[in-house]
Amino acid sequence: MINAIEVKNISVIYGEGTPFRKAALNGITTAFPKGEITGIIGHTGSGKSTLASLLNGLLKATSGEILLFGENIWAKPKEMTKIRSRVGLVFQYPEYQLFDETVEADIAFGPKNIGLDEEEIKNRVRLAAEFCGLSEKELKRSPFELSGGQKRRAAIAGVLAMRPEVIVLDEPAAGLDPQGREEILSGLVEYKNKYGATLIIISHSMEDIAKYADRILVMKDGEIYMQGSVEEIFVQAERLFDAKLDLPQITKLFIELKKRNLCQSTDVYTVGYAKKEIEKIIAK
Amino acid sequence: MSFIEARGVEFSYSPDEEKVIKNIDLKIEKGSYVAILGHNGCGKSTLAKLLCGILTPTEGQILIDGADTADEEKSFEIRKKCGMVFQNPDNQLVASVVEEDVAFAPENLGLPRDEIRKRVDMALATVDMTEYKEHATYKLSGGQKQRIAIAGMLAMSPECIIFDEATAMLDPTGRKEIVAAMKRLNSEIGITVVTITHYMNEAVEADRIIVMNKGEIIADGTPKEIFSEVEKLQSVSLAVPQVAELMYLLEQDGHPLPRGVLHAMEAADLLEAYIKGAKND
Amino acid sequence: MLKDVTFGQYYPGNSLLHRTDPRIKMLILIEYLVLVLVANSEIAALLSLAFTVFLIAVSGVRFGILIKSVKPLIFVLAFTAIINLFFTVGEGEPLLNWGFITIYANGVRNAIMMLLRLLSLVLGTSVLISFTTSPLELTDAIEALLSPLKKIKVPVHEFAMMMSIALRFIPTLIEETNKIISAQKARCADFESGNLLKRIKALIPILIPLFVSAVRRAEELADAMECRCYNGGEGRTKLKVMKSRPADYAFLLAVTVLTVAVFFLNNISVSEIINLCKAIF
Repeated sequence: MINAIEVKNISVIYGEGTPFRKAALNGITTAFPKGEITGIIGHTGSGKSTLASLLNGLLKATSGEILLFGENIWAKPKEMTKIRSRVGLVFQYPEYQLFDETVEADIAFGPKNIGLDEEEIKNRVRLAAEFCGLSEKELKRSPFELSGGQKRRAAIAGVLAMRPEVIVLDEPAAGLDPQGREEILSGLVEYKNKYGATLIIISHSMEDIAKYADRILVMKDGEIYMQGSVEEIFVQAERLFDAKLDLPQITKLFIELKKRNLCQSTDVYTVGYAKKEIEKIIAK
Repeated sequence: MSFIEARGVEFSYSPDEEKVIKNIDLKIEKGSYVAILGHNGCGKSTLAKLLCGILTPTEGQILIDGADTADEEKSFEIRKKCGMVFQNPDNQLVASVVEEDVAFAPENLGLPRDEIRKRVDMALATVDMTEYKEHATYKLSGGQKQRIAIAGMLAMSPECIIFDEATAMLDPTGRKEIVAAMKRLNSEIGITVVTITHYMNEAVEADRIIVMNKGEIIADGTPKEIFSEVEKLQSVSLAVPQVAELMYLLEQDGHPLPRGVLHAMEAADLLEAYIKGAKND
Repeated sequence: MLKDVTFGQYYPGNSLLHRTDPRIKMLILIEYLVLVLVANSEIAALLSLAFTVFLIAVSGVRFGILIKSVKPLIFVLAFTAIINLFFTVGEGEPLLNWGFITIYANGVRNAIMMLLRLLSLVLGTSVLISFTTSPLELTDAIEALLSPLKKIKVPVHEFAMMMSIALRFIPTLIEETNKIISAQKARCADFESGNLLKRIKALIPILIPLFVSAVRRAEELADAMECRCYNGGEGRTKLKVMKSRPADYAFLLAVTVLTVAVFFLNNISVSEIINLCKAIF
């Protein structure tokens, strides 16, 4: 398997040499396989957002290196723009970055900065809008007239339009209702499938991560607490519980059932799977 | 008489725009804990602003403790009785220092200094933020800022606090802090709590849930009743607690399990009894 | 880019400066500004420097924070010093004559004086007012000192409230600006290259979102203030009543004496003082 991004022994330390020394990230090593969705979970202050800003070179690590398809992203600092167009970063509440007169022009901001030609920009804007479920009519409107959910989608489209190979999203669905979450996340999956892109999604919602991710990276106090496939992580659900992470309610139910000796599996994180498990127990 | 009463309320932001709130009749009793549940853009935040008098209905009327919110002369009385905590923690703190912010409402009420001091200390203790009283507000976490906003309301000594998606911008820890504070205000101080949310696990904590869709109330009942109707909630793009969905799916497949199960523990008890029963048969 | 800005940030504490009546501090600030700007002779400058060091020492503000507050100004400070060093044409022999660079003793003196003066202005004002006075205290003090103007219908309270809110929002808006800059950089925005016009144009994607957000914040804050019974300055009481103690007046008097002394010492050179001392003993 090819790794889209490799993170090698990365540390981010503030105030080195002073009494206020604080390590936001403490020597972490991990990799994000190409074409997969990795979910990053962890408490506020665990270093998730710091890691995100490192991946596209907005922030430079104190030590360690980040490889994008084997190439150090800081090899040519002058070509950082190129790295940023290849690794798209969507911040929390990205709707606050919208500024242009029309949604279309706003989405075109990124592609224009890369220096693409008119025709290509138009093409990419259309496609990005499509992935994010924005209609032709909405493209012509002012971004400030859109609803909250539409603004969010317009902002994400602005990053997709650069056609990044890796997309890092910090809480893309924060504050949205279940339908809004679904629309945004499934649009991203569609993009990923079409272009073989790699997705990295930071979220507090274990439910969303469980539903969409292939791999999970659990962070705690600037270090990696656990990492592995979704199944591997949920088999150790009790360990997540110990780290005071919010587990899906259905997983909590199965941890309780295991305690009562009614079933053995704790790697249950979707309602559909839970139903099958219960039926198996009853049938026994 | 109910504490809040809405009679045939309709509302639109301008005459030529579509109505955001349609024909709402609603009574909220004193001391109750009510959650108003609905997806983004269903009009629930507008309803919240109507219920505390920031907006006045275009049609119908809203009475708060008998006073019409449209009556300008009573607006000060209404404000004192019915407070509101907003979504964005940053946009409701007025002062740079915690205790100065909490003192804002009692200062506006023109209370004597000793009384302000007493109220500020009490309010900060209630939300467990006493040790932060001299801290700068901007350095607090989101959850802490919201707790200060709640303290700011408590210092006004209102009878009712409306939470307008007060947890939407917080992380899970912050969200838990605020839900715990809401429960305490309701059960220990007897404040009427109305919380507007789309997180069903927060709505579960209330005594009563009102479900809104397209500006109308489509369901009203206890959490158990509301979450029994899985299809209805899903049809208006709301989720139900996972265990409620599981029990519902099992029931659909012919297992006689109850609906409206809200908590993992409750579900574990029911499933244990059912599995053991099935095996003994 | 903006993370080092410490302007308008308050560091809670309990030092002598924290405890001094903010109204007195405002008056002291005025005297201090006069003192620093007027001090011209070596002895007067030394006195003003000693007083600045005293203020810093009694403020209890951490050294690191002071360094941080000077950091953004390093360029300005260095520039001023260099200009003074190289472009002062003095009397007598130059200290250094190296090609087109000529440095006179007077130039060195001016450079040091200017540097100390600017540093004093920044640090003194910071420790006297912004670091040790909460914005609310500051605006209360301004309101109190300007209150005579109320008689001629100047909206002093409104002005003070606006200022206090502006100060409260500085850290919030700085944080927001940084976020927007990062977000636009992630979309490959380039703020660093091109001619002046291009660079100004590059700021549009930052300024528009910032402006939109500031307006939204203002609207929400207005609602939140209304919900907390804000009704203008009429009938408002205060949690913290400003009280001047004898110590405050003593402080003010001491600074007044110092300022007068600086005026006096300005006309006396070091050698004259030595002569004076010799004459006395």
